[in-house]
Amino acid sequence: MSDNNNTGAPYEGIDPALWRGLTQRRLSRRQALGVAGGGIAASLFLASGAASGASLPNAKVGNATWWKKEKLHHTVNFANWPLYIDTLNGKYPSLEHFTQTTKIKVNYFQVIDDNTSFYAKIRPSLAAGQYTGYDIVVMTNNNPPLGYLMELGWLVPLDHSMMPNFKKYAGPLVKNPPWDRGNKYTMAWQSGWTSVAYNSKQVKDPGDSVHILFDKKYAGRVGMLSDPFELGSVGLLALGIEPASSTEKDWSKAATLLQKQKSDGIVAAYYDQSYIQHLKNGDVWVSQAYSGDIYQANLSAKYKDLVLMIPKEGLMMWTDNMCIPLYAQNPKDAMTLMDYYYSPVTQSVVEYYNDYICPVPDAKQQLLHPTSWNKAALAKLKPEIGLPTSATADSPLVFPSGREAKLTKTYYQFKNQEEINTWTNLFMPIIQGA
Amino acid sequence: MDQLVHADHPGGVERTHHRRGSWGKRLAPYLLSLPAVVWLLLLFLVPLAIMLSLSLKTCNPASGTCYMTWSWGELPHQVNLYRTQFITSLEYAAAATIVDLVVSFPIAYWIAFHGGRKKNFFLMMLLVPFFVSFVIRTLVWEFILSNNGFFMTFLRHAHLISANFHVLGTGYAVIAGLSYNYLPFTALPLYVALERIDRRVLEAAYDLYASRREAFQRVIVPLAIPGIFAAFLLTFIPAFGDYVNQQILGGTSSTMIGTVIQNTFLVTGDYAAGSSLSVVLLVISLLGIWLYARVLGSRSIEEYL
Repeated sequence: MSDNNNTGAPYEGIDPALWRGLTQRRLSRRQALGVAGGGIAASLFLASGAASGASLPNAKVGNATWWKKEKLHHTVNFANWPLYIDTLNGKYPSLEHFTQTTKIKVNYFQVIDDNTSFYAKIRPSLAAGQYTGYDIVVMTNNNPPLGYLMELGWLVPLDHSMMPNFKKYAGPLVKNPPWDRGNKYTMAWQSGWTSVAYNSKQVKDPGDSVHILFDKKYAGRVGMLSDPFELGSVGLLALGIEPASSTEKDWSKAATLLQKQKSDGIVAAYYDQSYIQHLKNGDVWVSQAYSGDIYQANLSAKYKDLVLMIPKEGLMMWTDNMCIPLYAQNPKDAMTLMDYYYSPVTQSVVEYYNDYICPVPDAKQQLLHPTSWNKAALAKLKPEIGLPTSATADSPLVFPSGREAKLTKTYYQFKNQEEINTWTNLFMPIIQGA
Repeated sequence: MDQLVHADHPGGVERTHHRRGSWGKRLAPYLLSLPAVVWLLLLFLVPLAIMLSLSLKTCNPASGTCYMTWSWGELPHQVNLYRTQFITSLEYAAAATIVDLVVSFPIAYWIAFHGGRKKNFFLMMLLVPFFVSFVIRTLVWEFILSNNGFFMTFLRHAHLISANFHVLGTGYAVIAGLSYNYLPFTALPLYVALERIDRRVLEAAYDLYASRREAFQRVIVPLAIPGIFAAFLLTFIPAFGDYVNQQILGGTSSTMIGTVIQNTFLVTGDYAAGSSLSVVLLVISLLGIWLYARVLGSRSIEEYL
């Protein structure tokens, strides 16, 4: 994973404007296919020339003098994924406590279902130089849009003087991560693993390897994810390759393996999050799975048989990142809120509800022995959750132990659009081919 | 009305009235069709034009900017790339349409000829399940057809199927889902066509010594052809581009073109390629309709649509 140091930030080594010029010229799938004529190439050149002439739109944003001029507006618009924050009777205790103590009103929008489509919704505003309506958005590191936002200069660089909690409490998995070196633009909201889950009623000798997904014994009973980045990564793991430091050659080997898995009739289907339903009702015995889904399924006695495997090849860890889109109207309020969630006290409340991988390891102690306002908040949430706070505190799926942390792998960081195209052109045909 | 006024009072019509009347007369059809024209323009022609132009552009998935590159080659290229998915879609949509025609003809026939005073009630019965969102109904089919669902478990216990037999994840499940979801779109135009048949024509056929079978073949079916055509259009075209049934009920080898288009937009974020695929889909559908209309020569389709 150390090889990843350079690959994480293509935006730093090379002049970003040049970078964009290069990617824009090369990105064209059509051109690569040789269907474009001379006039097309010329017009693309013109377009990219115009684009590379200007500096990034956030060049003068987010430095110390810029931040000094910003003021609190006592309101913040926060866009997040659904069911991803402590909720009690339609209210959000941790956000309410934030408003009480800081007098900053939070408008919380659960509007993000998918990285690509949410990005497509905010993109027109950003391209037009307008406020997107959100001061904080949460984007995943294993999908291209977060990289696009950074590459195009559409994020406000964070004010590191406003991140005392983050500096003090952020865990090693989310501090200075490969997808955003130095946390220039992002702070993690929550992380999760993509691994393998099985139904222990049907699978008696699971072993501890992702190769179970390729086992002919389970032909027609294996579920795979329809996200090309998840699918390709597990293919790489099966070949014993670190996804983060993989090469295009490795990708095609993984694609061959996954194509064979499909043509051998091992794969039942490529699922979005619906795989969990198929695991529950027994159509699928083994599947690629998200750790949070399995944890939540296990809360019901009915689905105690679902087990998340910790494969020896590794667990893919994705992270949802809070970031401030450019032209945000309340960046200072946004910074205050983002750092508030790095207090172990706050995070204990969120995690008791969420049960994803906690970005703040010290929240574990706060779950076991709450010392502040979280004492009352946790007690109020308890009837809703139905489990003691120690269940969350002791879960390796929330606070990874040494073994899980060691096996945690990060996704490949794409250096340019051409690589993204190469990847999707390898794995999408498997997902949607005949 | 204006004409009546003129006829009743020849020469006695006021000038102003006369002018207003003729203006109104001239404008009336335009004014009356204005809402429809605006609707068609804003919600159909403008999006269609955007889609057509987007299909010839090249887009940057990061910034979302698109440049017109007149990439006509993209259209045949997309057909080549996704030929199997297009063919699968055609097969499934055709199969579902045939199933629907076969299943709903007797239903429509029975309601039209033997429904009596309860016709509306029977039609209502046909429509009631469709008050629930079709995604939910398809999910219920997934539940019913699942390997450990009550239906399959029952068949397995009765030794009617082998332990490994499954329906979910096959093309048959997708065809079944499509047929189920589009059934009313077939049944209703058929009903309208059959209902309109003048009973006296049938009586005449019997008077001329036609057997029941002959009357059916030579009178009822030919008169129902516009309805069959309308039913075909209303079922085949949406089924051809459908992706929900395939995603919920299908497996790995039954991908339909609708799924590919959806993925191109939402997973790959390549709007240009997605638009190209949509254009190809549109052209294939239009060609199909044109051919079908030529063969059947139906002039009065619009009456039944």
